[in-house]
Amino acid sequence: MNQERSMFEKALVEAIDEGLLMLGEGGREVVYFRLRHSYALSKEDVPAHPEIFIECLRKIFGSGSKAIEKTIIKGLYSKLGLTYAEKKNFDFFEYLNEAKKQLGL
Amino acid sequence: MQKVYGLTVSVMTVLALLYAFQNYYPEFMHLFSNAFPPVISGGAVIVSGLSLERYWRKAKGPFSKAWFYFTLGLFFWFMGEAIWAGYTLVLGVEVPYPSIADVFWLAGYIPFFIALYLYVKIFGCALTKKTLAASMVTTIVLTIIVTGVLLVPVLGAEEDLLVEVADFAYPLLDLALFSVAHLGLILFWKGKLGKPWFLINLAIAMDTCADILFSYLTAHNAYYCGHMLELLYHFSYLLFMLAFYLHAKEL
Repeated sequence: MNQERSMFEKALVEAIDEGLLMLGEGGREVVYFRLRHSYALSKEDVPAHPEIFIECLRKIFGSGSKAIEKTIIKGLYSKLGLTYAEKKNFDFFEYLNEAKKQLGL
Repeated sequence: MQKVYGLTVSVMTVLALLYAFQNYYPEFMHLFSNAFPPVISGGAVIVSGLSLERYWRKAKGPFSKAWFYFTLGLFFWFMGEAIWAGYTLVLGVEVPYPSIADVFWLAGYIPFFIALYLYVKIFGCALTKKTLAASMVTTIVLTIIVTGVLLVPVLGAEEDLLVEVADFAYPLLDLALFSVAHLGLILFWKGKLGKPWFLINLAIAMDTCADILFSYLTAHNAYYCGHMLELLYHFSYLLFMLAFYLHAKEL
């Protein structure tokens, strides 16, 4: 179970890293900088506190953050070998929980 | 940040006062009215160029592309302003409209539209179909209103076809910019990027009002250098500068 959890967390960190690249490397660095300085959170800590990461994104991008969240979730599902299906009214956390459920975490 | 807001409001106030009391210094006003636009638009090119340099240096990502086009669009507008000033101050043409300056002004809309589109496209999937439909209806309604407002005065003035085309082109191209810019405002409204996007929209709205008024006034031969409507153009450049500065601060 621990190994699967660790694999999930690693995949999430990678998905975030790659997903934020839609902003360019500069944009990604700004998000990580804000995360470190305003929330005292490093990117490796995001799997333990995804709500803080999402709050940080929404504070910068407003509703536009949904586009980043979607890219991250798609990347995560692909890394975990899960099928991503868009669901109405599903937010970032529900997709995360769905993925965890499918992996039996 | 407060200092920058304060400086912008101060410049706007000074400009408004300068235009309000122009009867006391008509010769200076003629010079100022023609010489100031290249200065302020040049300032906007510099601020946009600094953002471009910053995004380009960090990484050639989507923002660097968008800012390349923003800067190119503003550069074309600067060229338009400079050529207009050349006509009025050097060649002594009273109102050089239409002229080569218009070629640059109109050309500037293309990169500016591309810049807005590239930016909004990155976050486009966050927009719902309902929002897009409402946005499209708003743009169509605004286009009908603007065309309706200009139709009688412009066609009634019996100007050259070229002048009539230009009279309609500017406000309609402004609306084309607005059609994309307001999507950016909807996307980023609740975030830190909301402020720069609000300012971009406000600048475009001012340009639209100024262009409608300009078309109306030139159709009635009522425009003169130093007209109060020029304030809208000046404010628009100032707001673009502020918007780009704030964006570079936030992201």
